[in-house]
Amino acid sequence: MINPFEDFKEYPYKKKEIPLDRIVRAKERVMDQIIEGYLKLVEEEVKELVWLVEHNRILKAYSSALQTIQKFDYDVDDIEELCLELDKGGRIPYLISGPSGIYISALCNNAKEQEIHLRLYELKRTFHFLGYRLPEGKTLILEGDLGDFIGAGLSGGKLIAKGSTGNWAGAGMMDGELCITEHAGQNMGEWMSGGEIHVDGQIRGIGKTIRGGRIYQRDKLIFPNYLTSRY
Amino acid sequence: MEDGNSRQKVRDIYGFIQDNLYLNRPDMRVAEESFNSALLFSLLTALNRGKELIIGEPGLGKTTSAEYIGAMTYRLPLGLIWAGEVSGHPEQTEEKIIGRPDLGRLNRGEEVVIWSYLAQLPIKIVDEINRLPETKQSMILDGVDRGKWEYLNDVIINEEYCLFATANYQDRGTNTLIAPLIDRFDVIVESRHPGTNMAFMIGMKDRYENVLRSAVFERRFQEILLQRRDYHEKMRGLEELCDRFGDHMEKEFHVRMLSQAERKEIRDCMQELPLDADANAFLRTVIAELSFCHKYGQKRSDEHCEEGCHYTGFLCHHTKNCISNRFPISVRTYSQSLAWLLGDEAVGIDHIKAVLPYALAHRVQWKDDYISQKQASNRRDPLQIYMGKEMVNEVYRRYNEQSHHIKNALAVAYQTLSGKGLEPIEGDHPIYAEIKRDLEEVR
Repeated sequence: MINPFEDFKEYPYKKKEIPLDRIVRAKERVMDQIIEGYLKLVEEEVKELVWLVEHNRILKAYSSALQTIQKFDYDVDDIEELCLELDKGGRIPYLISGPSGIYISALCNNAKEQEIHLRLYELKRTFHFLGYRLPEGKTLILEGDLGDFIGAGLSGGKLIAKGSTGNWAGAGMMDGELCITEHAGQNMGEWMSGGEIHVDGQIRGIGKTIRGGRIYQRDKLIFPNYLTSRY
Repeated sequence: MEDGNSRQKVRDIYGFIQDNLYLNRPDMRVAEESFNSALLFSLLTALNRGKELIIGEPGLGKTTSAEYIGAMTYRLPLGLIWAGEVSGHPEQTEEKIIGRPDLGRLNRGEEVVIWSYLAQLPIKIVDEINRLPETKQSMILDGVDRGKWEYLNDVIINEEYCLFATANYQDRGTNTLIAPLIDRFDVIVESRHPGTNMAFMIGMKDRYENVLRSAVFERRFQEILLQRRDYHEKMRGLEELCDRFGDHMEKEFHVRMLSQAERKEIRDCMQELPLDADANAFLRTVIAELSFCHKYGQKRSDEHCEEGCHYTGFLCHHTKNCISNRFPISVRTYSQSLAWLLGDEAVGIDHIKAVLPYALAHRVQWKDDYISQKQASNRRDPLQIYMGKEMVNEVYRRYNEQSHHIKNALAVAYQTLSGKGLEPIEGDHPIYAEIKRDLEEVR
């Protein structure tokens, strides 16, 4: 069969592109950068696959994550996509809940959007430190059950957890609002110095050292009027 | 491979005729060079065995331009070319145009054909072709198209020939050229009035003296043509005499003409010249606009565009007929000839643009309303050539806007047909629809 286009055999061609292809490719490019940034953070911060929850370590990891993501052009969908990738584990060989949560928090805090909504209820794993240092003006809505240290170091933002949280929720928070629609674990609000925590469900225990702020359970103030140590 | 001597020789022929025999103004520019279109296209016709229709007012050099070119490119004396010319008139007969029985031998019961000079000579000139009635025009169709001449049970086929036909503008004595005949002409040119001052100079020349005439050689040529022997043998004898005539002209008048071997060498060089990507894609774009029909699959003379067609902005909406397969052949061969003459290594878009108006002016049947839009415009060309030039500019503008996209569409189409699963490139031009259709029908 004659190819009537033979004269253009050597002509450099470009494939037909529909806008969706371009968008998908751009998304993939961004996701590659984000994953690469995460792997770099893990490599720097996690020695022998052990990551100790220490104040300095957390700060260092957060600063490093913030620095890495500065040049990324991402949006909320990319953050949610990263959570799915971390959960699936296909392109990411290991999930370490602490650094991954800090990395996601850095992405949320640095995102262009003021309101960030992450649907995490289908995930098999949980991330720690989500909402870490959420700044003023940002609202983070997290759907699904969450790990430990949710809203830790909250810095004026509003975090709505539509599900239950693990231990140490709101630990060290300085300002802002943490709303938990279901239950909270132990040591909630430890080292908290400001802001408010609202829990609609049960609280297993609040922190021993709470320096300021308020904690409500079902609209009832339980700190500073804290009377019992266990619910 | 020729080394430029042949090209210089051809340029010298052009220059000699322009300066001494066919005085006229340049009327076209290609790559910074000016040419007279009638002379240039006659030269290219002779070089690549083409067919040219020359139109113009009586007495403005239609026939003489072809005669001079024919004489100098084929080493034939002018008087022989005159002898081979056929004039179109209503009483013209097959016996005068093609051949007649040898009456002496017919009386002895032998059917032997005496071929006309027109049928035998490589330079064929039909003067005032549109004075031939339409019924008689079909008589010369095969001869014009393939160089094949038939009479009684005999046939001769010309191996190398070119044809020039002249036509006056329509008057009471002219007929319309039938579509199959007119399509066989590669190009149409106008032999124009040379302008007041040049006409004055022509008027000062001796009307009987011409350097290309030689009574002695003319008689010798005629003796060969009248011999009763095999046509191909006669042609070999003729060629030997052509060489002697060429030597004589060079020695006596320093006029260098082309030998058969040189003509072949030139043709081989021309045919080797490739079309570059733009020339290729642009020609495809033109063909698409002149053959495409969104509604009926292709243009057909008896089918008309419907109202509200998406492609009303393209040429297919302004034409009645479908462009023939002879059209791209004409454009390619003449563009190659032109590129060769200019010393270029490939056929570019400028060569194609220069040739196109002359290759399509006689082939396109425009719709009446489109003609009425154009005919009152200020112009220097006859209407059909003017419309051809306008058309080329219009398509070129469209091509220029999307040349990369069109070339990409063609490249992607190649890859698709070669087995890569690519989607055809889409765009707003008939060429994309044609490419898509090629791909669909092959799949």
